[in-house]
Amino acid sequence: MDKSFLEQVQIHKKNKLDGLHSKTKMIVLILYVICTFILAVKVTRLQLPLYQIAWFGVLLVIFALSGQFAKCLRGMRAVFVVFAVIVIAQSLIQPGGEILFKLGPITIEEHGLQKACNLGFMVLDVAGIFVWFFQTTSHKEIAAALREAGVNDKIAYVFVSTLKMIDEMGKNSRTIMNAQRARGIETEGNLMVRAKAFVPSLIPLVLTAITGAEERVVTLEARGFSVNAQKTSVFKLEKSGAETLVLIVSLLITVALAAWRIFLA
Amino acid sequence: MSTIMECKNVTYQYPLTDKPTLKNINIKIEKGKVYGVVGENGAGKTTFCAVLRGFAPSFYQGELQGEVELEGKNIVEYGGDISTRIGYVFQNPFTQISGVKDTVYEEVCYGLENFGVPVDEIDRRVREVMKLTNIESLAMQNPFEISGGQMQRVALASVIVLEPDVLVIDEPTSQLDPEGTESVFEVIKAMKEKHKTIVLVEHKIDLIAEYADEVIVFKDGEIVAHGPTEDILSDMSLLKKGVNLPQVAVLCSKLKEKGLPLEKIAVTDKEAVRVIEKALKERG
Ligand SMILES: Nc1ncnc2c1ncn2[C@@H]1O[C@H](COP(=O)(O)OP(=O)(O)O)[C@@H](O)[C@H]1O
Ligand SMILES: [Mg+2]
Repeated sequence: MDKSFLEQVQIHKKNKLDGLHSKTKMIVLILYVICTFILAVKVTRLQLPLYQIAWFGVLLVIFALSGQFAKCLRGMRAVFVVFAVIVIAQSLIQPGGEILFKLGPITIEEHGLQKACNLGFMVLDVAGIFVWFFQTTSHKEIAAALREAGVNDKIAYVFVSTLKMIDEMGKNSRTIMNAQRARGIETEGNLMVRAKAFVPSLIPLVLTAITGAEERVVTLEARGFSVNAQKTSVFKLEKSGAETLVLIVSLLITVALAAWRIFLA
Repeated sequence: MSTIMECKNVTYQYPLTDKPTLKNINIKIEKGKVYGVVGENGAGKTTFCAVLRGFAPSFYQGELQGEVELEGKNIVEYGGDISTRIGYVFQNPFTQISGVKDTVYEEVCYGLENFGVPVDEIDRRVREVMKLTNIESLAMQNPFEISGGQMQRVALASVIVLEPDVLVIDEPTSQLDPEGTESVFEVIKAMKEKHKTIVLVEHKIDLIAEYADEVIVFKDGEIVAHGPTEDILSDMSLLKKGVNLPQVAVLCSKLKEKGLPLEKIAVTDKEAVRVIEKALKERG
């Protein structure tokens, strides 16, 4: 017999890291970010925060251990673009200090490289751990965790529906882009061409979002959104069993790094 | 039959407007009947629905005079539980998706979760309603990625699952193709067979003729006619009040004028065929 609907909507994860309770993942995320700041030590003659690069290696290990390496890397694409833009722009534009590299009109100076690395690695690490969180945690896990944590229904709704809306908008704008391409509007090509196509494609998206808001509120009310009852949930949030271990390990790492930073570095 | 809802001298004015949108509405809604609500655009049909459900004034604000009662008690006294007594479905299928659920199945579960119904019971009720609304095959699909007619059936299911006594349905098919329209009316028909009380705003007058027991005609915020479907839809004077009448009713009335001895003015195709055949036979 086929699995029941009730069974099909549950999420069972085999991987212990991937399947961590969302709250534990959130704590891991926060600790990772704290460590990123702890590791912002300037080293070498050029005073660059190179430990943060090694820390990014740890992130890649987390991706891999979660069994979601490919998915997380796909999620990292946008982060890599931002990283590249920051590094290139900062190192080319910021003047000052020793000239490190010169090729025709392009010069990279000491201060520029420092700025670029300070900001770039920070973005890479912090955004990276968020990518891990969202690539390994589905909307309904987040929703269930928020409810378990006793977060206000309205705040939880706004949060979850926004996440979902971003997904849907992505799909929607692809549909609209396709429709526009069918009408002969260029949506491929260089950045300028794409930007020109993107703006008009946003207008119907924004309009439907605004006009739909009132009806959406009525819909939610009609489904008992603001009823004062202890809500139930068809979806059951599971634990992977590794929560305590992961918590202890991440705390130990954080404390060790903090101690190292305070006493040795 | 017993009265389930009643509007007593209801006048309602939206905020920031200078005159009331609904004026002196007096009507008794009887249990188990289907009410077709018709009238030209802007006549106040949607506002009437919002008043019946209590969204006007609770959500839209504005000023309400008179009383809207459900089983003899003012609807404001029901508080949040009113959602389980009066279900509300409207035009745009897209805005009737909660926006927080991944599958159609979970979407239909949403209301019952809000009311704290135990999971076993939710599952049982939701499966039953999905069968009734013919959306079982969509259960695991993303509610945003189905057709308009399917979405509208999901919206209906999400409301029906709360087992309301009264269903208020505002132009459920105006954005649907003929196929979608038919599938939605299959659901309405099923609810009629379950003796639910239904208030249905619908522009497609042939569907009103087929499904409604009584018709309420709105014009400029007032009820200008109300009665059994056959009486109202065969009243040619309503054409002047902006009401669409069934083509067959207009035909019957013309034939009668021309001297064909019709037993009555039929409002549905089937009835029309019967009375015209009969009249022709009698004439020989
Ligand atoms: N939210 C609102 N605020 C102010 N006026 C409104 C609002 N909604 C509808 N109206 C006005 O009320 C009148 C009746 O509208 P409505 O009930 O939507 O009519 P119908 O559904 O019959 O087309 C219209 O003149 C409309 O402009
Ligand atoms: Mg309307």
